[in-house]
Amino acid sequence: MTEFPNPKSSIPNRPSRRDFVRIGGLTALGLSLSNLLVQRAAAAPTAKAKRAILIWLDGGPSHLETFDVKPDAPREVRGPLVPVATNVPGIQVSECLPLLAQRMQHASIIRSMTSPLGEHNLGTHYLMTGYPPTPALEYPAIGSVVAHLDRAERTLPRHIAVPNFGVGGRRYGGNGYLPEETRPFAVGGDPAQPGFKVRDLDYYPGLAGGWIDRRREYLQRLDEFSRSVEQAASGGTPTRGAGAPVPATFEQAYRLITSPAAKGAFDLSQESATTRGRYGPRTIGQSALLARRLVEADVPFVTINYPGWDTHDNLYTRLKEGYTGAKVPVGLVPALDLALSALLDDLADRGLLAETLVMVMGEFGRTPKLNTLGGRDHWPRVFSVLLAGGGVPGGQVIGSSDATGESPKDRPVTPADLAASIYTLLGIDPQQLLHTADGRPVHVSRDGRVVKELVG
Amino acid sequence: MNLCFLLLLGAVPPPVDFDTDVLPVLTKAGCNAGACHGAAAGRGGFKLSLFGGDPAADQRAIARELEGRRVNLAHPERSLLLLKPTWQLDHEGGERFTADGSEAAVLLQWIRVGARRTGDKHLIRLEVTPAQTAFDRLPANYGLSALAQFSDGTQRDVSHQATYTPADPAATEVDPRGGVKVQRPGRHSIVVRFLTETIAVQVTAAYPQPSLAADKLPRNNWIDDEINATLTALRLPLSPQADEAALLRRVTLDLSGRLPPPERILAYLADRRSPQEKFAAEVERLLASPEFTEQWTYKLAEWLRIQPGPNDREGTEAYYAWVRKQVEGRRPLNELVAELITADGDSHLLGPPNFHRSAGDARGEAEHVAETLLAVRLRCANCHNHPLDRWTQDDYHGLAAIFARLDRGREVKLKSSGEVAHPATGDAAIPRIPGAAILDPQADGRPRLAAWLTSTDNPYFARAWVNRLWDSLLGRGLVHPVDDLRDTNPASHPALLERLTQDFVAASFDLRHTLRQIALSAAYQRSAATQAGNLHDDRFYSHALPRQLSQEVLLRAVCTATGVAEHALPLSFAPPTGMVSDRPRQLPFDPLAVAVCAGQPGQARDALAQPPNDLAAQLHWLNGPVVNAKLNDRASALAELSKSNAPAQQLIETYYLRTLSRLPTASEQQFWQRELAGGDWAQKCQDFAWSLLSCREFVTNH
Repeated sequence: MTEFPNPKSSIPNRPSRRDFVRIGGLTALGLSLSNLLVQRAAAAPTAKAKRAILIWLDGGPSHLETFDVKPDAPREVRGPLVPVATNVPGIQVSECLPLLAQRMQHASIIRSMTSPLGEHNLGTHYLMTGYPPTPALEYPAIGSVVAHLDRAERTLPRHIAVPNFGVGGRRYGGNGYLPEETRPFAVGGDPAQPGFKVRDLDYYPGLAGGWIDRRREYLQRLDEFSRSVEQAASGGTPTRGAGAPVPATFEQAYRLITSPAAKGAFDLSQESATTRGRYGPRTIGQSALLARRLVEADVPFVTINYPGWDTHDNLYTRLKEGYTGAKVPVGLVPALDLALSALLDDLADRGLLAETLVMVMGEFGRTPKLNTLGGRDHWPRVFSVLLAGGGVPGGQVIGSSDATGESPKDRPVTPADLAASIYTLLGIDPQQLLHTADGRPVHVSRDGRVVKELVG
Repeated sequence: MNLCFLLLLGAVPPPVDFDTDVLPVLTKAGCNAGACHGAAAGRGGFKLSLFGGDPAADQRAIARELEGRRVNLAHPERSLLLLKPTWQLDHEGGERFTADGSEAAVLLQWIRVGARRTGDKHLIRLEVTPAQTAFDRLPANYGLSALAQFSDGTQRDVSHQATYTPADPAATEVDPRGGVKVQRPGRHSIVVRFLTETIAVQVTAAYPQPSLAADKLPRNNWIDDEINATLTALRLPLSPQADEAALLRRVTLDLSGRLPPPERILAYLADRRSPQEKFAAEVERLLASPEFTEQWTYKLAEWLRIQPGPNDREGTEAYYAWVRKQVEGRRPLNELVAELITADGDSHLLGPPNFHRSAGDARGEAEHVAETLLAVRLRCANCHNHPLDRWTQDDYHGLAAIFARLDRGREVKLKSSGEVAHPATGDAAIPRIPGAAILDPQADGRPRLAAWLTSTDNPYFARAWVNRLWDSLLGRGLVHPVDDLRDTNPASHPALLERLTQDFVAASFDLRHTLRQIALSAAYQRSAATQAGNLHDDRFYSHALPRQLSQEVLLRAVCTATGVAEHALPLSFAPPTGMVSDRPRQLPFDPLAVAVCAGQPGQARDALAQPPNDLAAQLHWLNGPVVNAKLNDRASALAELSKSNAPAQQLIETYYLRTLSRLPTASEQQFWQRELAGGDWAQKCQDFAWSLLSCREFVTNH
């Protein structure tokens, strides 16, 4: 910037709004402008992804120690880890991701994710839903929208969380304004424990045949009765035999308990020791294996919750080495590397990768400068996410951050853009309208521009 | 444009004040927002304070940094401060305003006259009108006008410079000049910001329904006044008073955390006094009961976040026992809290010092105090002045400084030194009562903090607690969520909240007093059954909101209904939240109950009122031990009855009384008698009992 144009003469030459679209500038606050810019992204009828696995790195993973290493930055920025080359020329990732590095042909990394929300609850809501949180309405997670719009007859729940959905400080249930049956089903427990079982799927000891049908019928009766009692109390006419529906979650529970095939999908003991070993002994590994079993059984959306990424201190220990004395002394990133690469291989081997979208993300990145405790604090202004399979072109990096990983350098992508892209990949029109319980129409996704490089 | 320049050049330069003229332009254009230059680290090498919180620093950043390129005094029109936001030079944030508009003119003129800051004029008051307004039909349009008063005695209409943020953009749209378009019925708030002041205004828009006969609305006490007025303004029809059994169940669960015993229900129904008379007597009985102490100790413990630490069982037990003693002895809440704040001593022997051990360090304790005692989210002010509230970084670190010298070991005591570094200066923060007073760094600041916090004119403390009490009994706080009190999150019924607060203070911070007032109101006593026009109401109290029983209350209800104690709960039981302790002996307030998440969702209305249930909870209820083990237990009162020779009619009546706390209707009796007859009696009785413990009517307080 050495020239100083004369303001008067420069006016005709300043970039037009159309240029703005082209150069893809960021208008975090230019709402009126961005409304003009929202491109109606018609869902591709030929969407390749039929189901999705979201690996949620809860707490906010450091982009600088995973997908966006800065070896040339000053020491307090680049941190303790060095990059490794991948099998795609020009793309480097953290030294803790050597296995992923050999599988970059499957993956796209976005290095220019950007959000203004640096608090766990808020950031989680934004990344999980594509909507910044508002006090007026809680939005549904992408997986719950997928579950809601899924029309197939299924015994297994449509949105499953492995092992749980305790994300972003546990305040967020996942279904937002959508009905509770779209809320992710938490399998509970620890898939890495020997003898892991999903609780309460086997018949409770001593319950004799026919009990479950009878309970279903009785429950239906009681709900119907209490409604007519209430109506009488409020002066209305009691209705009889209107056939009160059984609560949706009861119906789901009923189907799960009574279907051996459905229960089998949760049974990790059906996997060989070799397969279990490939995913690694940690919870994240066995969770990924369980997720693979579930998508194989055609569950449309699985969220794997991988906690521990809020690394305010001891970054090196937490991310790379793991704590000495731990059962498996290995950090978060190598454990992710093992699980993710096994998952990609396994899905590819079974011919499922092309139609299964795999996503790796958290609620924000971490501060470019290491803090005094050897950690990094919350940093939403730029961070990275990884997508693979499901029709996502592999071997590419989308966007970049600046030299210190502080801001997007080009091609900023907002969580709304990401959500619109994920919906498009899954064959859902981001502009489609959903409705809240009191009839308010809400778009599946708003203010999001589909990231063209992702949808192929 | 040319004309504009000529005019500016030709006239005597009008004074442009940095703090009150320039900063509003930058704020309105979004320049100093958190996502742009207002971020902690700035943006593109240019940092402004968040929403102009630090004018001196902003003027330095603009006028001094970058060697006069941001402002070019020789060629004002070539200043980056103008070229960037008008997009005559590439700007990541795009065009914030046009080069020929009034915003650019203000900036240009400020640079022309030297880009200085006098700092001798600041905003003292912002008034936005109308603060409250109402409309009868939609869509409706109106204008907000903002008037700023400055320290030099001047005032100015700043309607075009203020920023407007609707809490619900789908309900109200506001243009940059304050024009409001109301599109949905209900009561909506809009946050108006100008410089350091933020104010929320409200608009009420009626539902397209018939008007209410205002003089016929039930009124039991002053609580009903604003509730009724609001329902009238919104045209939301009221549900009638709940029937006696439902009301007895509701108030017994609320005040004592238990189901009413069957004999109590029958006696109450047989009582010939007037409904209000016997209800009031029941409220008094419950308020004086030991069960009230149990239940409200638990609730206080929850609000104070008393949790069994991994290695600190003695302290937690001492703390809990102390709180119980205060509740039992009717200790005024302000005294109770003052004792916590000033407590020192052996935390294993004394309860109160454990308050200081609830947080790991001074900053954590500042947040703990703000969140638990004031229901204020102070956290934001750790790194920057709170954008939506009055709290500054000085407040946050000043409050933390009060606790900086505390030794939080088993023996809580004041050390001779200790400080909290203020991140803006790097120096030790000066102890400070948030927004109120600066303290002597040498003295123990806790007594003064306690005195301020619990004094009768503290604006936060009593309000936070009455809002919690209201939420506990009505299912939704007047301020929602209850842990987020600030001016920009206004109460649904501001006058009622104010009156409740004053009444609580006047009654010496007595929990029982305020709970009694609430329970006796007509608003509390309405039926949960909805009417045609109030089905979706979840915040104006036109009908009772069915509330899911909290987990410990639900667990206790299952125990009392079946007559089987909780020892049947297997120790390996791992709840989804991972909070449960598997120690053999549970503390009375252990989140053991967190384990038991009942599920009985279904109706849309519940989904609005309650956190939705999930499948895992439903599976557990249907097929897990919590209910089934009790039904199988030989000692189960329900099983015992099914094995006796009691006639079916009596069994059905008893089952209903023990679970739903009411008598079955004639048609229910008829149905169940027919259903249970004809073989498989014992199993059918068990499934009947399971269904009673699982239906929506049981798992909610309605």
